[in-house]
Parts: sequence; C-alpha cells; structure tokens
Amino acid sequence: MAGNEEFMRFMAAWALVHETADEGWKAAVERGGTQATGEMGTGPEAFVDGLSAMIAEEKERLKAELASGTVAAPGEEAGLKEVLEELRFEIAELRGRVEAMQSSLDALAARERG
Amino acid sequence: MSARGRSIAWSLARALLAGSLHAGAEARRAARARELRVAFEGLGPAFVKLGQLISVRPDVFGPELVFEMEKLQDSVAPLPVSAVREVIADDFGRPPEELFASFEDTPLASASIAQVHRATLAEEYRPVVGPSLPAGTPLAVKVVRPGSESLILADIAAARPFAERVGRMRRFERYNLPGLLDEFASTLCSECDLRREARVADRFAFDFRDDPLMIVPRVVWPRTGRRVLTTEFIEGWRLSELGRAAERGVNGRILAEHGATVFLRQVLELGRFHADLHPANLFVTPDSRICYLDFGITGTTSPEQRIAIAQVLAATVYGDADRALKYSAELGLVVPEHLQPRVRGEVGELMARTLSVPPRDVRGFATGFLRIMNDAQVEVPVGYGLLVKALVTVEGVARALYPEIDITEAAKPYATRLIARWMLHPARLAQRAPSAMRAAIRELAG
Repeated sequence: MAGNEEFMRFMAAWALVHETADEGWKAAVERGGTQATGEMGTGPEAFVDGLSAMIAEEKERLKAELASGTVAAPGEEAGLKEVLEELRFEIAELRGRVEAMQSSLDALAARERG
Repeated sequence: MSARGRSIAWSLARALLAGSLHAGAEARRAARARELRVAFEGLGPAFVKLGQLISVRPDVFGPELVFEMEKLQDSVAPLPVSAVREVIADDFGRPPEELFASFEDTPLASASIAQVHRATLAEEYRPVVGPSLPAGTPLAVKVVRPGSESLILADIAAARPFAERVGRMRRFERYNLPGLLDEFASTLCSECDLRREARVADRFAFDFRDDPLMIVPRVVWPRTGRRVLTTEFIEGWRLSELGRAAERGVNGRILAEHGATVFLRQVLELGRFHADLHPANLFVTPDSRICYLDFGITGTTSPEQRIAIAQVLAATVYGDADRALKYSAELGLVVPEHLQPRVRGEVGELMARTLSVPPRDVRGFATGFLRIMNDAQVEVPVGYGLLVKALVTVEGVARALYPEIDITEAAKPYATRLIARWMLHPARLAQRAPSAMRAAIRELAG
C-alpha cells in the first residue's frame, strides 16, 4: 500500500507541475499579446512574454491548418522531391524503351523493303 | 544417351570420383569441388555458365562448390566479326557503320554468351539518367553470340538424363537436379535478352545518381535491342590490374570502404542488389570511382527483410549468435526447435573463431555458417544464400582494393544506424508506446 501511495503522490506532483506551467504559460501569452513593437528587447522577461505570444500565434495557425487539412508534415517536401525524381525516371525509362522499340520497327521495315 | 551426353556424364563422373579419393571429409569436399570446376571448364560455354549460376546458389549447393565455381573464367575464342555485324544488322536493319560514328572489329572481350566491341556515338543522345552524351562518346557494344542460346539449351538437354539418374540417388535427392537444370535454362534465356539487363543498369545508374564515387555506364536505347546492348564506355582497370591503378594515385582504402557501404546501401536501403559481383564485373576508373558492370543477376529485398537483414548483420558483427538466428528465422532460415541448442552453440563458436578478433574472416564465417546449416539439413532460402554469398564477394573485392580492410567495421555503423532509425520510426513508436507506457507505470508502481 505504501508503494501505491508514493505512486499517487508522484503523479499528483507531476500534474501540479503541468498545471502551474500551464497557468504561467497562459499569463505570459497574455502579457506578450499586449506588448507594443520593440518592447521585446527591453529585458529577458519581456522577451519570454513576447516569444510566448508569437509561439501561441503559430500554434493557432497550426491548429487552423490541421483543421483544414493543409498542413505539411515534416519531411514532406523532401518526400515530394523524391517522388518527382522517381516519376521523371520512370518517364525517361519509358522513353528509352520506346526508342528501342522504334529501332526494332525500323529494322523490320528495312527488312520488308529490302 | 547422345555422344555429347556420354561425354558430359563421363567428365562429371570422373571429377566426382577423383575428388572422392582424398582422406578427410573437408579435404574431400574441397577436392571434389575443384575437380568439378575443372570438368566444367573443359565441357565448354554452357557448363561455364552453369558453374557461374551454381556459384550464386549457396542455398542449394555446399559452400565449397559455390566458392570454387566462382573461379570459373568466362572467356572463349572471339567470334568472326562478320557474325557480329550480322547480328547488329539483323536487330537494327542497318550495318554498324550507319549506326555508329565508328565501330572496332577487334573485340574488347569475348565470353560464352556475348562479346563486346568498342564504337563511338554518331549523334548526341539524352540517356535515361544524367546529362546528354555528346556525339563521339566512346561506347561499348555487347552482342549476343548467334546460336549461343540454342547451344546452351542443347547441352542442358544432353545433361538431363545424367541429372535424372544422379538425382535418383539418395544423397542427391534433395537437390532436385532436373528442376535446377530447368531453372538454369530459364535464367540463361533471360540473360540472352539484353533489354532486361539494360533496364537494370539504368535503375542502378538512377539509384546512385548522387554518389560521386560510383558510376554505372548509361544505356544508349536507340542502339539497344534483344541481342545488342550499347552503353557508354568507361575507361578503367579491372581489379586484377589494380597495381596500375595504385601507381596512378587511386586511393584503394577509400574505394574499398565506399564499395562495402555501396553494397550495404543496395541491400538495406534500396532493396535491389547486384548479385553477380566478381572481379570481371567491377572497374576502378582513373578518377577513383567504382564502376559496376553486367547486371544479369540481381537480388531484391522487401522493407521487412531489410530490417531483419540489418538485425542479422548487426548481431553477426557484434558476435550475438542468439539474435542472429532469431532474425534469420524472420528471413526464412528456420532452425527446428530440437536442433536449436546445437546450431546456436556451433554458430557461437564459429563467430568467436572467425569474427571476434581482427583480422576478421567474413569468408570463413560464411563458409562455416552455410556448412553448419547444410550438415543440420536446415533449408537456406534462395535470397538468404545469395546475400551471404554477395557479402563474401564484397569482402573479397574490398580486400583486392585494400588488403587491410575489415568490412565488419564498415557494416557496424551502417547496420546500427538503420536499426536505430527503424526503432524511432513513428509507426513503430506508436505501435510500441502503449506497452512501453504500461511497463513504465508497472515499474513506477513497484
């Protein structure tokens, strides 16, 4: 039972840290949101508040993108480049095969003529 | 049985008998393999080709025979140039002079299925991969020997009664010799259609397009048909001529290390690998690049197999027999439960003997491993055998470039990185997270 109590205490401490951090975060975002231009450079606390507000704005944008389904997953651009290169290769490969077939056709036509 | 059939049967029986006269099982196996290789050389092109195909089937034949057949030299008297010209004219409806800016009558090389001539490109051509080849580019024109396909098939037909008779003997039953002859015939027929090889060459050129140390000759498709394959000609030295390369400032160590990595990349990342690597299929260029040639035999690996191969490779280089056998089972090499303690013990002992201290002996390990499986009558899947064999060849090639290389050292970071990437893959994390979380909570809860 002592083990269980310790575990509950640990989880409670963990939840408390999150709650405090969340409240601190919300307050920082609120303060940063009311800052005037250039105010971020006035000191470390103002900087943290301003940065928190910017991150919160970015978070809202990300939320909207996720909701509309237009968000690009990390590495998606690199993946797209790879797919494009693969497609280009496949088309070039097809061209090669068509060229070889054309040569065979020309050979047959020459044989028919001569 | 035809006269040719009798001659084949006599040569093979004599080789098997001569090889059996040696004392000790190991010496007998090695001698029999040597005698068979000599007999195959004497029996001509079809058997040289057959021997080469045996050398890539460690899943069927004993390791001694597989590694001995690798030494077969596929070199035959050249065809008269008139016959070569006839094949080209037949495939393209025009003589070589009208197809190329120049064409050399003296062949560069002559083997059992095809021979190669030098030529130059008549007009600019845009290949499938990379920049255009300007007019005047040196070319290699590979031409299938007329009638080679039917000659080989006739020899295989002549050898069939012998294979059937030997195949009925108890000790050869499990090899299914007539079935293997059919398989060889079909492989040889596909090798005689050079368009297939051309497609594989282009694929390799594409796969390694960003590798500055690798080069694959690109195909000139308008001059390629069923019996003619035209590619750009790459200047270089064969591995047997490396002394000259070293004199000209080629860095053997860098190439050897890179060669090993290139192979691992083929097997573990791309899923396609050159399965017929031997010194004649590899060149080193004057600008210190590795050039791959001849894509007649290739192997493939699926994504699941790649992870299992990386696990086997990592377990092998770290000397973990248990893990190596566990992941080998995922690749189809299943050791029956009652044999597991014995096989595990033997593999562990073999690892300790061949791989624990430098210089590590990958070839010795592979031969010993396949011998253990062969003795325990454990079936080795085709792809698994091909891979083991290819790894040994890669080590041989790397050692020819730089004798002090230890390819297990090159394999270690590669396999470890791949396994780490796999473990951190979001899909795997998502799959493993709930059970990991449950385990963590259980641990915390005491």
